[in-house]
Amino acid sequence: MSWLQRMAGEAPVPVYVARGIDASHDDLAALALDANIELVATPRHAAVLLVVGTVPAKFHDGLRRLHDQMPRPATTLWYRSRPLPEFDAPHTLSKTDRLAPTLTDLYRTLYGRTPQPVLLPDRPPAPWRGLGDYGQGGEGMMGGTPYGRPMAMTDDDLRDGLQLDALGFTLGPFFGPWAPGLLMHMSLQGDVVQRVSVQSPPFPQAPPTVFGAALRGAVPIADLELARARSHLFGLAHSLETAGLRSLALRTLAHAARLRPGVDIGLMRGWLRRCGLFASVPPGCGQLTRTQAIRIGGTAARAAGQPMDARLEDPAYRRLGFSVIVQDAGDCRARWRQWLGEIEQSLALADRAAGENVYTDQTEVVETPRGRWRRGAGIADASAVLEELLPGMEWSEAMATIASLDVAAGEPGEGGEP
Amino acid sequence: MDLLALLIVAVIALLMAWLLQRPSLRRPPLAPYPQRAPFLGGGTVDSHAWSRFHVRYYPMTLLLIAFEMEMMFMYPWAVVYVEEGIKALAEMGMFLAILSVGIVYGWRERVFRWQ
Repeated sequence: MSWLQRMAGEAPVPVYVARGIDASHDDLAALALDANIELVATPRHAAVLLVVGTVPAKFHDGLRRLHDQMPRPATTLWYRSRPLPEFDAPHTLSKTDRLAPTLTDLYRTLYGRTPQPVLLPDRPPAPWRGLGDYGQGGEGMMGGTPYGRPMAMTDDDLRDGLQLDALGFTLGPFFGPWAPGLLMHMSLQGDVVQRVSVQSPPFPQAPPTVFGAALRGAVPIADLELARARSHLFGLAHSLETAGLRSLALRTLAHAARLRPGVDIGLMRGWLRRCGLFASVPPGCGQLTRTQAIRIGGTAARAAGQPMDARLEDPAYRRLGFSVIVQDAGDCRARWRQWLGEIEQSLALADRAAGENVYTDQTEVVETPRGRWRRGAGIADASAVLEELLPGMEWSEAMATIASLDVAAGEPGEGGEP
Repeated sequence: MDLLALLIVAVIALLMAWLLQRPSLRRPPLAPYPQRAPFLGGGTVDSHAWSRFHVRYYPMTLLLIAFEMEMMFMYPWAVVYVEEGIKALAEMGMFLAILSVGIVYGWRERVFRWQ
């Protein structure tokens, strides 16, 4: 290896993360905060593809596509995941603490390895079948299948009825700004979303383990509330990242990493208000109706003025003086404000509960960051709401709305339910 | 003799140009097809990339013409204004009144709202 390659290897590792089932937020947050790792937006910027968690067989082709889009030389690390059969000597890993060092090692020694194969056949995905001079299919300027794919055809427009070509595509299931596993077919007119259909809902997410434990027996309220605050901070960090405010997203993740009961996040509230996150969407963007809000539940419902909270049913919380925070607008801004308000409330509750050593007094039902979780019931998927919500939005608004909503189903993870 | 020297210079120049711009340099091998596919998080596109959509700047051009015409006629008007006096002022007032109808129309069409 030349000294030039060694020097290049000292740079932060560009990693694209393909998240499968049970991709843990904590692992990814730790990775994002690591100075030696740079989580990039697309495989085109990446040298290492990190596959986290199990990938169901129906998404293997999507994963192959991602893998082949990385510029060579590139390598793949399978973290708690089963490698695709094409790999002869895959790099696998299951230990959390070795994740960042392994990625760095793989990157440093990238040039010494045998190059990774291209998994998909190297031939045009849609070969030329055109007839006319410009391959337009020989049917004038419209229609035809010049490169094996049909030409875009005019479609209805939601704004002013000016019908022009609609762009249709499926996005996901490894699209970074969305929940892992979410696969949607979208149709765009310019940058306005016309139609959305959910092809595959996001992978069920396990709430933090302490919430599962709360259904088995009494747990310290301080632990429960800290886990909730951390989860909301992850949500805010994700929204900031989606809005293009990466350094603030990292700052939020750093907050989440060193969260203690009673910490004052007033400073954070200040810079969140000034950073432009709230101004990045117009008021009323992603506004939920009452039924949609109830269907999603959790913070989204409370941000739309529904005082739904399972903590009200717990006498221990009532003794701590818990009251539900609600917003009335029900739009993206309200949801971000709701997260912020609930983080502050949770930290204050955790402080009080830790001082008095209070345990939960209700094991039938628990309020997870995602919503109400009754024993034996799980949390239902609500991704169908996106189909009603997104049409008519501009792309950036749609992205902000998806980032501000947690619609994945909730299922017991490791440890499970009683 | 001069012609020969010129010829040699021309040949050397052509040779160097060919060396710098030889086809193998100008066209580096393309990446394999799967690598060139658009990134959609594992998803695929439905249709060809030849898609036309409206840029919607028509009201904006209308506004530009309204303001620009105004300025174009105001320069010669400013030159003769002192000679003509109040008559020139009245004429320009009428002209601006007509043009401002276009601006009012643009206003109604929400030209001034950035979207």
